[in-house]
Amino acid sequence: MHKALHWFLALTALIALLAVAGCGGDDEESAGGGDSAEQAKQFPADTTMGKLQDKGEIAIGVKYDVPPFGFKNPQSGDIEGFDVDIGKAIADKLGVKPKFIEAISDNRIPFLQNGTADLILSTMTINKERDQEIDFSEPYYVARGRVLVPQNSKITGVADLKQGTSVCTALGSTYEENLKKQAPDAERKLVDSYSECLELIQNGAVDAVSTDDVILTGMIIQDDSLKLVGDELTTEPYGAGIKDGDAAFKEFVDSTIAEFKSDGRWKQTHEKWVSQYTDEPQEPPTMTLQEALEATS
Amino acid sequence: MWVTVRLVAIAFAIAIGAGTLVAALRVAPNVLLQRVGGVYVETFRNIPLLVLLFISFAGLRRAGVPVSAWVAGTASLGIYTSAYVAEVLRSGVFSVSRGQIEAALSLGYTYPEAMRRVVLPQAFRTVISPLGSLIIAMIKNSAIIGVSLLALPDLLKTARLIQSRTFDTNEAFFWAAVGYLLLTGSVTLVIRVLESKYAIRR
Repeated sequence: MHKALHWFLALTALIALLAVAGCGGDDEESAGGGDSAEQAKQFPADTTMGKLQDKGEIAIGVKYDVPPFGFKNPQSGDIEGFDVDIGKAIADKLGVKPKFIEAISDNRIPFLQNGTADLILSTMTINKERDQEIDFSEPYYVARGRVLVPQNSKITGVADLKQGTSVCTALGSTYEENLKKQAPDAERKLVDSYSECLELIQNGAVDAVSTDDVILTGMIIQDDSLKLVGDELTTEPYGAGIKDGDAAFKEFVDSTIAEFKSDGRWKQTHEKWVSQYTDEPQEPPTMTLQEALEATS
Repeated sequence: MWVTVRLVAIAFAIAIGAGTLVAALRVAPNVLLQRVGGVYVETFRNIPLLVLLFISFAGLRRAGVPVSAWVAGTASLGIYTSAYVAEVLRSGVFSVSRGQIEAALSLGYTYPEAMRRVVLPQAFRTVISPLGSLIIAMIKNSAIIGVSLLALPDLLKTARLIQSRTFDTNEAFFWAAVGYLLLTGSVTLVIRVLESKYAIRR
C-alpha cells in the first residue's frame, strides 16, 4: 500500500513537472518579440488598458486558417500573418503578451461580448449591423471582394453565378448577404472556414468561392490552378473589433494603428504578407471609419 | 427541420437494410461470413462519423466520384449506424433460444428460412427499444452533417444561419434544442407505443 502511494506521488509530480515545462514553452512562443519593446506607458487601473496591463496579457481573436492574414504555420505551429503583426504591435504598446486565440467568422462577435477575446483582428469587414453589436477601430486594411474559380472555368465574374452554379463563402461573413443580392440564383454553400471552401472548390463540389481578395490570394498561393475573375464586387474595410462602448480602448487601438500606418511598419508588413505575392505594393488605407460604415451599408 | 428528418429517415432505411444484412452474416453458420460481418462492424463502428463524412465526400470527389452532399451525408450516417444496428440485431438473435432454431430445422426448414420465419420475428421484438435509442442517436448525430464540410441546411445549420444574421445566440440555439427535443420526443413516443404492442416481456 505504501509503495503504491509512493509511486502515485512520484507519477503525479512527474506529470505536474511536464505540464509546467509544457506551459513554459508556450509562454515563450506567445511572447513573440514583445520583450524588446521600450517600457510601455502605464494606464490607470480602471481602464481596459490598465486591466490588461495588470493581467500582463491580451487575448486577441484571429483567424487560424486565412493566410496571409491569420494562420497557423504548419511547420512551427506559430500563429502568423498581417492581423497577427498588428495584434503584436498593439500588445507591444501596452507592454503585455499577446495571446492569440482562434476566432472564426461565426463566433468572433460573441467572443468579444462574453470576454473570451479582448480584441478581434480576424479579417473582419466593418459594417453597420456589426457596429451595433461591437465597436470598430479605424480601418487598418481595405480588401476587395472578388470571385475565385478554377483556371478552366467558364465563369468570368459574379454575373455568371446563375441558377445551377454554386458558390462557397463563410457562414456569418458579409458575403453571405452580398451573394444573396448579387447572385441570388446561385446555390450558396456556407461553411465555417475558408479552408473548407478551398477543399470544396478543389474537389469540385462548388464552382466558385467569393470573399476578400486577400483571402483568395492566400488560396492561390496554396493552389495555383485557381484564379481571380471579374471586377470587384465590394470594398471591404477591415477594422479591429472592440467591445461595444469601450471608447477609451478604441481610442488607444486607433492611435496605435495610426502610428503603425505612419511610421512605415504598415508598408513593411504589407510587403511581407501580401505584395510579395501580388506584386501590387499599396499605401496604408486613408478611409475613415465613418466612410467605411457608409460604404458598406 | 425537414432536412434533418429526411436525412435521418433515409439514413435509417440504409442502416436497417445494411445492418440486417451484416447481422445475418454475423450469425451465419459459417466462420468466414461471420468474420466479414465482424470486420464491417468493427470498421464502421470505430471510425468517427465526421471522418466518414470527409472520406465519403471530399475523399471520393477527389478520387473522381461526383457524390453529392446528400448522398455522402445519408450514406455515411446510414453506414455508421448500420454497424450499431447489426450489433443490436445480433444480440436480438442470440436472445432467441438455440432450441427454437433446432426445432425449426428439425421441422424441415432450411437455415435461412428458420431465420426469417422463426428467429428474426422474435428478435425484432426484443430489439425495438435499442433500435429506438439508435434512431435518437441518429437524430443527434445528424447535427454533425450540418456542421461538416457538407454544409447541408439541417436544423443546427439553420439555427447557426439565423444566429449569424441576428447575433441572437441564445435564442437561435434554444429553438434548435427545442427542435431536436420535438424530433427525439416524437420518436420516443412511437417507440413506447410499439413496445407496449409488440415487445416481449419476460
